[in-house]
Amino acid sequence: MTAIIEVENLTKSYGSKRGIADVSFQVEEGEVFGFLGPNGAGKTTTIRLLMALLRADSGAARITGLDCWKQSLEIKRIVGYLPGEPALDPNLTGGQILEYFANLRGGVDRTYLKQLIQRFDLDTSRKFRQYSTGNKRKVVLIQAFMHRPRLLILDEPTSGLDPLNQQEFDHMVKEARDEGRTVFLSSHVLSEVEKTCTKVGIIRNGSLVRIGDVAEVKAIKRYEITITFANPVPAETFKALDGVADVEMLDHGHAVRLAMQGSADAVIKAAANYPVVSLTSYEPSLEDIFLRYYEADPAPAKEAQGVA
Amino acid sequence: MLRSIYLKTLRDYRVAILGWGIGMGLVVISPMASVAALVTTPQAREQLVGLAASFAWNADPIAVDTIGGYATFKIGFFVFLIAIWPLLAGSRMLRGEEERGSMDVLLSLPRPRLNVAIEKLAAMWTALLVMGVLIGLLAFAGGAKFGGNFGLGGGLLYGLNLALICAVFGSLALLISQFTQERGPAAGATAGLLLFFIVLDMVHRVVPNTEWISRLSPIYYYNLSKPLIPTYGTNGGAMIVQLALAALLGGAAIWLFVRRDVGGTVPFPRWLRLPERQASRALPVGDWSLGSVYARSMGMIAMPTFWWTLVIAAFAAFLVYAVQLLETKMSALLSGSPAFTTLIKNLGGGDASVNAGLLSAMFFFLPVLLMAFAVTQVNGWSGDEQDGRLELVLAAPQSRIAVLLGRFAALATATIAIAVVTLLACFASAAASGVSLDAGNLAAAILGMIPLGLLVAAIGYLASGWLATAADTGLLSFLLAAWFFISFIGPELKLPDATLRLSAFYYYGTPLLHGLQPASVLGVLAVAAVALVLGTMRFARKDIGV
Repeated sequence: MTAIIEVENLTKSYGSKRGIADVSFQVEEGEVFGFLGPNGAGKTTTIRLLMALLRADSGAARITGLDCWKQSLEIKRIVGYLPGEPALDPNLTGGQILEYFANLRGGVDRTYLKQLIQRFDLDTSRKFRQYSTGNKRKVVLIQAFMHRPRLLILDEPTSGLDPLNQQEFDHMVKEARDEGRTVFLSSHVLSEVEKTCTKVGIIRNGSLVRIGDVAEVKAIKRYEITITFANPVPAETFKALDGVADVEMLDHGHAVRLAMQGSADAVIKAAANYPVVSLTSYEPSLEDIFLRYYEADPAPAKEAQGVA
Repeated sequence: MLRSIYLKTLRDYRVAILGWGIGMGLVVISPMASVAALVTTPQAREQLVGLAASFAWNADPIAVDTIGGYATFKIGFFVFLIAIWPLLAGSRMLRGEEERGSMDVLLSLPRPRLNVAIEKLAAMWTALLVMGVLIGLLAFAGGAKFGGNFGLGGGLLYGLNLALICAVFGSLALLISQFTQERGPAAGATAGLLLFFIVLDMVHRVVPNTEWISRLSPIYYYNLSKPLIPTYGTNGGAMIVQLALAALLGGAAIWLFVRRDVGGTVPFPRWLRLPERQASRALPVGDWSLGSVYARSMGMIAMPTFWWTLVIAAFAAFLVYAVQLLETKMSALLSGSPAFTTLIKNLGGGDASVNAGLLSAMFFFLPVLLMAFAVTQVNGWSGDEQDGRLELVLAAPQSRIAVLLGRFAALATATIAIAVVTLLACFASAAASGVSLDAGNLAAAILGMIPLGLLVAAIGYLASGWLATAADTGLLSFLLAAWFFISFIGPELKLPDATLRLSAFYYYGTPLLHGLQPASVLGVLAVAAVALVLGTMRFARKDIGV
């Protein structure tokens, strides 16, 4: 596979305020890349730099080998973009907006456009100002997809969509992926990223702290095991074991909750020395991993840099 | 200052109170500075009185050879400028909060809707009162400095009279905003009505026996008080009429606000409503304005252009119609006066016909209106960028240069359209009223406004590369006011020619009498082109929406 997006040491600040600093990553053609981060982390800044709405202070961003700033016109022909906070002429109807952008782009298949409108069940006769937040999002989603772009850049695409339309969006992303097209989406809805993306980048305070396959990110998981014993067990039994990050005794020593990282082999063997009533293991969600990267203490970030 | 809605709103107005109050106060003082130089000899005094009589359509020429009288006379038309802030404040007071969505939060507080609206209106009136006091104090200071014969009471009453007429138009804007979905159309409609009422007030000064028509205008009651002229004084009844009108309009606005949906509008009676157009769900929608950035820009500018055309063309046609009546009135007033002949020569700068001489002076206001239109459109461009409405357009395969130039081209087209329709209206008015004018020069005078409109627009586009919308609009408004004063008062202040050349109006000249000066027109167009090129270069390189 070849990289469709290449970002190298990209830096952008707003006067004295931080934007992003030295962000580097690549997105391969055909991938669905999830760009994760809390509010103000730098997701939208990165996306707006890719779309040449902002000019980088330093570093480089390329799409299909073309410079995002210098060759933005060529790039925009192959990109479908959905901004985080769509603002459009409030006096135009949804239909007029879609027709206007179809005209500006040129070459939009009207039959496909009508299909998209039907899929999202959008009433195109209403003025943009009369739409609910979700319907506004539908309009801009349709305009991003309507020309079957080779690359979709979507900033928080499902924000405000109801579950049914989120599902429709998931299908559209899957279709795009199946057709070999690339999707770059930012989100803080981790279940969505887990579900739709093949690769994930996590940005925090303007710096990329982790990048990898969704499965790979999950592999560094810190999961939990809760073991209930017939008799009280001393905490020291588990504290020094490989893979144990934290030990919490429950029910006067009858149960133990272990925060785990890595293999559970040592824990299982140690637990086998006592009469076990039950054992439960919790899979971490991406949510858990995500939250871990945004804990107040800086330790996870350092760790993440090491892993990445 | 955050303890109540009243105080919070007043806090929001603090910069405007100081800026507008002091700025307008200085506007009032500026003509006072030139009186001494104008009345050095009895002949000069007679000439000044004659000159003022030629502008009687604009304001009553009473005691114009005194400091207070001259300032009152000179500020006449400027009530238009002074009333801009209240009409903007009134239109956004409730509607602006609704557009931003902050009204929902405000009304979620355990506080009656009525109180919210009353506190906000009271804050605006308080702000106007403070502005009035500032203007009054500055007028008094100006009078004291340049030898005026009015006291502190006169100055403060002058400020109060201004505050009252501003309260009328602020309240009118608030009322109109109950019927509009956005604040812009409410502000535009109020500005149109303001100009209409100014013209309505002018009617009785031009057309005999028409005072009853002018009484329909709030401006008429404002002009009944002239507190800076002790011999004329203040008309308490007229002030009460203005106060009652402001209360009535504000009260009606609040009455409607508490009864309507937040974010909705008050429906017009069925017989006043336009037939509802059912938008089609089918694509393509077949709208002419969706084909390109230029076409879309034309679609956006079409309605404001229509209203501005109506106002400017009607005003110009009125001036053409009024000139003959004014000439008759002046001839009766000044028959046999040697100053009259000199006056016309001064106005026209030569031996042109009386019609053209008078009209040339009156037409001085038309480019200002066209330039004000350009300011509003620059405001729209800058606001679109600031509010993120350009983001998706720029994400389409359209170069930034094409987007900016498409928008500018639409503005240029609208400017030309306004001028052409105004010219046709003037021809029609001249034909109907039998005023004889040189057709070529009339065309030069009207079409000569176009470069000035383009100049303002280009400078605004350039400045929007760095400035936020409010600052850009403020800068252009200041520039417009400064140019106007340099050209309007500068010659009386005997400002050096180099200073007079700083004003764009200098290059407009007196086309009604002397035709267009090609070098001047090309010079203005060249400066506009340079500003547009620089503005385009800046826009092509700047961060969008930051």
